[in-house]
Amino acid sequence: MTKVASHDEISKSLRAFVDGYNRNARLKAMNRDWNRTVLVQATDIPSQHTLVLRDGELTLLEGAAGEADLTVTAGSDLLADLFAGEITPTEPYLDGRLKVLGREEDIIRLDFISLMIWGE
Amino acid sequence: MKRVVSVSLGSSRRDHEVRTEVLGIPFEIKRVGTDGDLERAVELLQELDGRVDAIGLGGIDVFLYVDEQRYVVRDGERLLAAVRRTPVVDGSGLKNTLEREVVHYLAAHTDLLPPGTKVLMVSATDRFGMARALGEVGCELIFGDLIFAAGIPHAIRSVEELRRLAHRLLPELVKLPFHLLYPTGRKQEEIDSEKAAKFEPYYREARVIAGDFHLIRRYLPERLDRQVILTNTTTPEDVALLRERGAGYLVTTTPVFGGRTFGTNVLEAVFVALLAKPLPEITPTDHLTLLRRLEFKPHILPLAGEIDESGQP
Repeated sequence: MTKVASHDEISKSLRAFVDGYNRNARLKAMNRDWNRTVLVQATDIPSQHTLVLRDGELTLLEGAAGEADLTVTAGSDLLADLFAGEITPTEPYLDGRLKVLGREEDIIRLDFISLMIWGE
Repeated sequence: MKRVVSVSLGSSRRDHEVRTEVLGIPFEIKRVGTDGDLERAVELLQELDGRVDAIGLGGIDVFLYVDEQRYVVRDGERLLAAVRRTPVVDGSGLKNTLEREVVHYLAAHTDLLPPGTKVLMVSATDRFGMARALGEVGCELIFGDLIFAAGIPHAIRSVEELRRLAHRLLPELVKLPFHLLYPTGRKQEEIDSEKAAKFEPYYREARVIAGDFHLIRRYLPERLDRQVILTNTTTPEDVALLRERGAGYLVTTTPVFGGRTFGTNVLEAVFVALLAKPLPEITPTDHLTLLRRLEFKPHILPLAGEIDESGQP
């Protein structure tokens, strides 16, 4: 049976992701040139969040806010694990459980950032 | 006659074929590009398997070495798996030895790499041997891996930082389709002018631009300031482009056959054909011995200055 995470669990993971990013001065400096809006939505429960990256600072908003440059879609459990750093995005992206819509170069950059957040 | 074929994910417009002699043995060396088509490359490899003396894989790295750690690129593994009988190499076995030799040669015998020279390596995770050698001869290093692979404007400025990031990122990145990380097919023919302008300060900051030529070319600024280009795979058109943009010298790390340099994978495949022993038994010492027998030196081409009728400065 497929596990389901709650909206609050996804929120908690995303907050950890945002905190991990914002604590990392080097990552923030690396992304000063990259202003992007990322919509994160679950496929199995009603859950949407928006990550906003502006001038190197990352913030988290509830729901869909503004026009997204990237849309990250997956099952709730996968999203919770992914943003908590318990799994990396590559395998679920390759096997189709994780979908990321946007420009190819933005997708690669988001992948690099997520790999760097939990390893720094 | 020994036959070596390089199957490349790069552009078919760079295809080339030469007949030459290497240490007195006649060779037919051919390069076939598949324009980024991985399936076509697999088919071609299957057709060649058992019919040539050695195969090189170009336009892709199968193995990335960071110190003693080896990372295997998943798309490259697929290509390797298509060949069962003929020895197949991607150049990485030779690259470390060859490029270290070239760097130490340039430092000892030319004035192109004095201590303190600022070097931009557009990508170093595919040629860690060169990166370490440049550090050993006292160069100031700028590694562009994050800049050119991911568009992240962060110059890595030490081998230690490069090593740390590589060990962090490569275990995952090698699983991605290779074309997401490196220009294949038609992208090899195009200069990305927008990014070239954005990345120009990194080129300007350095006296030497080193590493993979497809990356150097894709982000080549409109104007260079007599920088030295240290690379391997170039065609006469590439040389003309570098001259037009104002490069000072072109130093190539593989021999010139029929007016152009081939990739390290081709040279490694030639070595495999010459050595005629099983791949796992071939050592860096075998490569070094062959390089000495070939009296191999890097090819240094001055690009700046007056051009005579032959097109040479």
